[in-house]
Amino acid sequence: MKKTSRLLVDIFLIITILLCILPFLYMILMSLKSTVNAYDFDFALSKLTLKHYKNIFTNSTFIRYFFNSVFVAISGVLLTLFTSCTAGFAFAKLKFRGNDKLFFLLILSMLVPSGAILVPLYLVVRGLGWVNTFRALILPLPTAFGVFVMRNAIMAIPEELIESAKIDGATTSKILRTVILPLVKSSMLTVAIFTFIGAWNNFTWPLIITTDDAYRTLPLALKAMQTQYDTDIGLTMACATCTFLPPFIFYLFLQSKFEEGMSMSGLKG
Amino acid sequence: MKKKKGLSVLAPYLYIAPIAMILLTFVAGSLILAIYFSFTKYNIITPAQFNGLFNYQRLFRDSKLHLCIINTLKIAAIIVPFEIVSSTLFAILISSRKDTVLGKIAKAALFVPVLSSSAVIGTVWNTILNGGHPAVKAIFGVFGIDPTLLLGSSKTAFIAVAFIIVWKGMGYYMVITLASLTSISDTFYEAAKVDGATKWDCLTKITLPLLKPTIIMNIFLSTISAMQVFDMVYTMTGGGPSMSTTTLSMYAYQLTFKGNKAGYAMAVSNVLMLIVLIIVLFQQRFIKHENSEI
Repeated sequence: MKKTSRLLVDIFLIITILLCILPFLYMILMSLKSTVNAYDFDFALSKLTLKHYKNIFTNSTFIRYFFNSVFVAISGVLLTLFTSCTAGFAFAKLKFRGNDKLFFLLILSMLVPSGAILVPLYLVVRGLGWVNTFRALILPLPTAFGVFVMRNAIMAIPEELIESAKIDGATTSKILRTVILPLVKSSMLTVAIFTFIGAWNNFTWPLIITTDDAYRTLPLALKAMQTQYDTDIGLTMACATCTFLPPFIFYLFLQSKFEEGMSMSGLKG
Repeated sequence: MKKKKGLSVLAPYLYIAPIAMILLTFVAGSLILAIYFSFTKYNIITPAQFNGLFNYQRLFRDSKLHLCIINTLKIAAIIVPFEIVSSTLFAILISSRKDTVLGKIAKAALFVPVLSSSAVIGTVWNTILNGGHPAVKAIFGVFGIDPTLLLGSSKTAFIAVAFIIVWKGMGYYMVITLASLTSISDTFYEAAKVDGATKWDCLTKITLPLLKPTIIMNIFLSTISAMQVFDMVYTMTGGGPSMSTTTLSMYAYQLTFKGNKAGYAMAVSNVLMLIVLIIVLFQQRFIKHENSEI
């Protein structure tokens, strides 16, 4: 009895795993098949081909999209790390008037629903004259969440370390660079991964703020392909695979960082 | 000496300045513009004209808006219960197999849809459902469903979209629940075993009551994100067929970019903002309540 119930749960979990993985497996397999036989179940090695990948990586528009995605995500990560570490450090270790109140305002900004301010955000960026610029794609990426994570991490650093650095004559910025940051690398990695994946996967904001191919990112290319070349499923799936893989690879190597960040994002609300 | 002191008083503000500038421009700026333009007639191209409460009065007359509110609620009514029940169930099952290979694979597998772009998921599921592959047809045939018709009918499209959102989101809540499950001390279960409790007793009398704060928090998080659904709907159906999957945030988008009614769109997005903020306020009260209990 006990054995059967355990077996049933195991089978249930295996079905769940398949349900989560099969659509992606289907995507990858389809991207490797030549279009003529896209819908048969023949996955013999001789029938698999990399030609769709060759096609997209020789297409200058696709390369542009790919570069845009990489550039926006990496710049977003660097900018977020900069704003989160400086502000997180100030809120955690520096004494100044209004520290608590400003931090409260910062937390308050996390309560503003991002989905509800998309159109007003467009009007702000449009007012600045930034439609179709990288600035518009990158500058709104840092959030209070990163500051929150870095502040919590930096608060755990003992005061004595900072005091002794001060006695040695280190300036505030030197303390941040040489004493604090090396100790909070792990939290920085968490912030970096979350920002990278958020920026890489972002669909709605680039959709709203760019109309020019020169600034559009991979998820938008994918959506455009779906309507433009819907007959060439292999090509679309190759593009989908290229969009899917970077976050997936990060996850494979840094699974624990994800869980750390997730449990904090659950707390933030 | 005096000058140096003046600088060091300002220094902390310099450290906060970058994030403050970004949040003031983009978050506070958006809130201000949303309120300002909601009192104007504005089509993005010509200058805005003040028209008082016209846009807000229009909210009550706009049958399309009412349809979008109903659509949003219908989609949320599927998303929230299914995300919460499935994520809790999977968290409990996976935690009972924490150290087995199967448990580890299941945990990782459930998270893969979470970290994929909605554009990837929209494209792949569209291809799977509409591709007419015999194997896909056979699987859906077991439930008496023709997959190629799912997204094309206004009766089923919102259900299909909602379930794909559940499929994408459940891993997120599962990881949060799992983290909370692992923090439950084994001594509870050992004591219960001594008292002769069955597995079912342990689940209903220990696990679920101790998970309650996490589950309620997940309900809030899931509701807040369900009310703002945009990208999954956009990539799956584009809001169709015949507006049956157009959500509130999508309607505000369409009014601005397809209808040239940015002023009215602001009033619509303010309604959405208000709904979400009310949920958030309840959530904050709940958090305070929980903290005071501890």
